[in-house]
Amino acid sequence: MASLEQNTDNTAVLIQNLTRKFGKFVAVDNINLTVSRGEIFGFLGANGAGKTTAIRMLCGILRSSGGNAWVAGIDINKKPELVKRKIGYMSQKFSLYNDLTISENLTFYGGIYGLKRKVISQRSRDLLDRLKLVGFRNRMTGALPLGYKQRLALGCSVLHRPRVLFLDEPTGGVDPVARREFWDLIYELSDQGTTIFVTTHYMDEAEYCNRVSIMDQGRIIALGKPTELKQEHNVKTMQEVFFDVVQPVIT
Amino acid sequence: MKRILAIARKEFLHILRDPRSLAVSILMPLMMVLLYGFAIDMDLKNIRVGVLDFNRSAESRSFINEMVSSGFIVESARLSNRKEIEPGFRQNKYRAVIIFPADFSLSLVKDPVTQIQIILDGADGTSAATVANYLNAVTSRINLSYAKEDFGLDILPIETRTRVLFNPELRSAHFIVPGLAALIMMMICALLTSIAIAREKETGTMEQILTTPVVAPQVIIGKIFPYMVIAALDATLIFLVGKFVFGVPMNGSWFALAGYSLIFILIALSLGLLISSVAKTQQVALIAALMITLLPTLLLSGFIFPIASMPAVLQYVSRVIPATYYLEIIRGIILKGVNWYPRMGGILTGMSLFLIILAIKRFKTRLD
Amino acid sequence: MIAPVLYLIRKEFLQIFRDHAMRGIIFVVPLIQLMIFSYAVTTDLKDIRIAILDNDKTIASRNLISALVESDYFKLVSTAPNPKHLRHNLLTSDADVTLWIPLGFSEDLATGNGAQVALNVDGSNSSIALRALGYTEAVVRLQAMKSLESFIQASITIPSNQTPSTNWDLQDEDQIATSPRIVPQIMNPRLIEPVMRFFYNPTLESRYYMIPGILVLLITLISAFLTGMAVVKEKELGTLEQLMVSPLTPAQLIAGKTIPFVVLAYFELAVATTFAILWFKLPLVGSIPLLALCALVYLLVTLGVGLLVSTISNTQQQAMFTVWFFLIFGILMSGFFFPIENMPEIIQKITVINPLRYFIEIIRGIFLRGATFDDVLPNLLPMLVIGLVIFSAAIMRFRKRTK
Repeated sequence: MASLEQNTDNTAVLIQNLTRKFGKFVAVDNINLTVSRGEIFGFLGANGAGKTTAIRMLCGILRSSGGNAWVAGIDINKKPELVKRKIGYMSQKFSLYNDLTISENLTFYGGIYGLKRKVISQRSRDLLDRLKLVGFRNRMTGALPLGYKQRLALGCSVLHRPRVLFLDEPTGGVDPVARREFWDLIYELSDQGTTIFVTTHYMDEAEYCNRVSIMDQGRIIALGKPTELKQEHNVKTMQEVFFDVVQPVIT
Repeated sequence: MKRILAIARKEFLHILRDPRSLAVSILMPLMMVLLYGFAIDMDLKNIRVGVLDFNRSAESRSFINEMVSSGFIVESARLSNRKEIEPGFRQNKYRAVIIFPADFSLSLVKDPVTQIQIILDGADGTSAATVANYLNAVTSRINLSYAKEDFGLDILPIETRTRVLFNPELRSAHFIVPGLAALIMMMICALLTSIAIAREKETGTMEQILTTPVVAPQVIIGKIFPYMVIAALDATLIFLVGKFVFGVPMNGSWFALAGYSLIFILIALSLGLLISSVAKTQQVALIAALMITLLPTLLLSGFIFPIASMPAVLQYVSRVIPATYYLEIIRGIILKGVNWYPRMGGILTGMSLFLIILAIKRFKTRLD
Repeated sequence: MIAPVLYLIRKEFLQIFRDHAMRGIIFVVPLIQLMIFSYAVTTDLKDIRIAILDNDKTIASRNLISALVESDYFKLVSTAPNPKHLRHNLLTSDADVTLWIPLGFSEDLATGNGAQVALNVDGSNSSIALRALGYTEAVVRLQAMKSLESFIQASITIPSNQTPSTNWDLQDEDQIATSPRIVPQIMNPRLIEPVMRFFYNPTLESRYYMIPGILVLLITLISAFLTGMAVVKEKELGTLEQLMVSPLTPAQLIAGKTIPFVVLAYFELAVATTFAILWFKLPLVGSIPLLALCALVYLLVTLGVGLLVSTISNTQQQAMFTVWFFLIFGILMSGFFFPIENMPEIIQKITVINPLRYFIEIIRGIFLRGATFDDVLPNLLPMLVIGLVIFSAAIMRFRKRTK
């Protein structure tokens, strides 16, 4: 699989022997992975397993120590700046400006991604509609309930229509109804061809993904469709797969 | 009591583990004393003077030599024509220019009075007055030596026997060290305290603490205790450095010094508490503390700038500033050996009681 | 390339103006500081409190006393009955200076035997002691000189048609005269009279020297503190990471963060300067464009410092403390309060890397002396170098963070 040619039509993310060391500590240890276009890929693992480090490399903000990866067909080590144009990112903290209104936040993020004003206003209107935030467009973000902030953060990350969307624990602290609605939005995006790369430690959300991988101590120790993995380990839920696969620390 | 100590201990650890707050708490005061003691001198030295000598005689030369021999004045430029004067001032090459007319030496013997022209840079008005003074003094000395040669006059008609009391060498360290101690105490107790408390409010850990069995006053005392200790430590350090490095005397009693300093520290701490109870963010706490405590202490308490020279309004304001009284008291103790200040001590005590009660009241209601 | 920066700038301004406290800090606080500083920071010596004991009570002694009392510099606080009282005045800080004119003053003066007076100064207030001493001595000296002059005039006769010649004509000055020593027929006293003239600020208003320095302080506070804290705040909130993930280049990010504060700093400078000129009658002799240019170079330094500090701080408090630390020493050793030439050689050498020192000199030169571009160049260049170094270091560190 050592092809230097990436099939940009179908492969959204290609990871080959990707490694990252911090001094002697190996955070990401030789991982290999392919994600197809439009897939919803669940990137699971315990805290400290190396997920965030891996995502950082894929987003182009961290250099790899070894191996390589191509996101939306672009080499992350050679052209990280180009990668940033094609991806969207939403972090746990939502990273919104609490002292700006919803529409101001959208305008801002659209602007820094280089979108023209007309495009921004058009897409903002559409997004506000889909995200059901129209009535709140002039509300101060800091005053919004968590679920709304979450939707807004998602909106800001897709305004520029990225090919690949990285979501790092996007549903932290949000109530189950809001979570459900959020996943509806993710499905919509996936249907439109956006590849979604999501990390979570809500195992029920793992069930919603097309495929998942489980990371432990820097390595990928399980990879496949949720149904396949459940069959393999002879369990009914992804939670149990997780327990089975990840070595408990205290033995 | 145990709980107070627990809170105090945590606060101490915060401070010790953060190298920057350590730097600001201990290193900075130390450096400031040393800097002030060694580097800062408000009396002019090395006064640069330019010379435009059209005469070029032995007499003009000897004037210049006499001028430079005092050690205060330095000949920094030799000009050759009038056109050079103004640019030299603009480039700050000298504070004054002395111009000897072409017939200077001739005029000395021919005329009853010989004029020389001195142009001074008025931009720094006070220094200009001082330089003018110095140059007048030099001229007088020279005139006197002429009078001696010509008429056998030995002495100036009026001689002043001068004595400088309480600080005979006019060491600015003697003056600065007490003021610096007050400034540092104010900074640590008011500024750092208010920021620390505001920080906890901002990050939400204050709430956390309040969910424990701890009571509000315990929180307050526990939090400010470390700063009190650091302030006392800094003040002691400053006085010791003053004494052993700069020879600042201690003509009064250490006990009195400590007593009045304690009252001052309490005032500063209460101010810090009050500020933190109204400031919502650290930025606001910083600016408020600067404006209300540090700036007035620095500028309006007579620390550096004489109160008598300020407009009436500010003179009234200075009477409300605790540092004004504290400074007079400790200068009096250290340099004059006077230990008892009923009026000023009373004012300070009154201030501290008032502020402490106010702070506790406000804090209680705010937290709950 | 530019458009994303504009969005950054817009966001920053929105945030600044929505924050009540920030509004206060930018608009209200500087003016208050300007007022207080300008009125309090006066090195003028006025109302030196003097206590006098006159044991002679003659015309001569009274002449001396009125010379002192009538001048603006002194304020008579008491006429003491005895020397102990004088000392007491100093002890209780009721007087700064005491003067004792003993019995026999006027006699000694008349006979040329050297009249004596005793001058005591409270040295504990050394900020004014030396000068108070100097002023008092100056007044006494003036009296002494008057007496000397009349004594000398009495000893000789001057032909009435001789007038002192002063050779100020331009043509003559360019020649350098060498004068032979002429032995006079009549014994003339040699008496030099210095004629003083003050360029710039003839009223010697000390405030004019201080206010430009205060202006420097104001814009330093805005540009160094606020910029640093603004960047760190985004770090704390997590929005900085979001910006790093976007296609924004470090240059764009930095531009977006610093340009708003450049604008604010200029705004403040303009407002404060206008206020100072209108209210305090501060003279502005030099050119405004030159001032703006020098301010730009200075902002390069302060913004660079703010940025650099933000890359080594994780919390706003850390950023605050770090800037505070350097600022205090920067101000103390800038020549603002205390002349640099008074400091020991070693320390003077250290001030060479202090950008405040250069800007304060430049700004004083422009405001008060009408300094031109050539005049400020020796100060502008070092400032530029320092600014470039610091700013480059900040940019490098910014880039590093992404790898």
